[in-house]
Amino acid sequence: MGFLEWLQGTWVGVLVAESLWGYPLLETIHSIGMAMMIGSLGLINLRVLGYKPDLPLLDMQQLLPLAWVGFTLNAISGTLLFTSDAVYFFSKYTFRIKMVLIVLGGINAALLGRRVFRAAAAGAPAAPPASGTKWIAITSLVFWIGAVCAGRLIAYAP
Amino acid sequence: MEFLVWLESTSIANAIRTIPWLYPAFETGHYIGLSLLVGGIMLIDLRVLGMARGLPLKSMIGMLPFVWVGFAINVLTGSLLFIYGATSFGTNAAFLVKMGFLVLAGLNALAFDLSVRRSGGAWVAADRPPPSAKGFATLSLFFWLCVVTTGRWMAYI
Repeated sequence: MGFLEWLQGTWVGVLVAESLWGYPLLETIHSIGMAMMIGSLGLINLRVLGYKPDLPLLDMQQLLPLAWVGFTLNAISGTLLFTSDAVYFFSKYTFRIKMVLIVLGGINAALLGRRVFRAAAAGAPAAPPASGTKWIAITSLVFWIGAVCAGRLIAYAP
Repeated sequence: MEFLVWLESTSIANAIRTIPWLYPAFETGHYIGLSLLVGGIMLIDLRVLGMARGLPLKSMIGMLPFVWVGFAINVLTGSLLFIYGATSFGTNAAFLVKMGFLVLAGLNALAFDLSVRRSGGAWVAADRPPPSAKGFATLSLFFWLCVVTTGRWMAYI
């Protein structure tokens, strides 16, 4: 028996799959976590691209805790949803694409944090973002919106 | 009910039924709109409640156009999804409760806006939201969470 079969046979997987409230509740949390994450990361990325220049760029990092709360909510709710039907989810290309996009989005967020925020912690003055940084912001928006699309399409596409 | 049946028989509803990718596409659009709308509102509400004080309150409230784009996307995609399944959505308890919370969220936003206008933007500029504004921000978070929750629950009721 493979890992995925074992996972969906655990009491957690069975609970999520069979309880009346488990699946919809986790899906709801997943939607709310998504809004938190995309809202805060989206605004940070848009600010790097020049939207709302009256928001101090360096202070945008004060939105990161909210993004982390959203990410944590979604990592937990997503993992639990996955355990309910692990073989099915893993067989879906849309699911695999979503996972790749999340990894890429995460790498991008780390890069952006280094370029935009860490220099500030070291005492460097706030300079307007370089064009390389802007490309990180653009691809970040593409990756996260792509992850939302791929996630929604798991139910419809192979 | 006759109206709902009529809606479901319109050419728009038929197009959504016959073109295979349209329904998932509108649903996906509805999720992206949700992220903009609820994500944006959440940031504004939390800022009014004291989060991320380094970001000027005035600029955060000035983010409302971003929220309106999300709202417009969701009114459009939501209406199209509704037309497709008017008779089942229109009689779905979770949908009716969702619309109720949507109205409450709207009225609450209006009350918040009135509070800003009545002070002539003074508390916004001074970054000193009165208790009433903090109350509206808390209610806003609650109402929008209820809109998302009841919306998600429509598939299960």
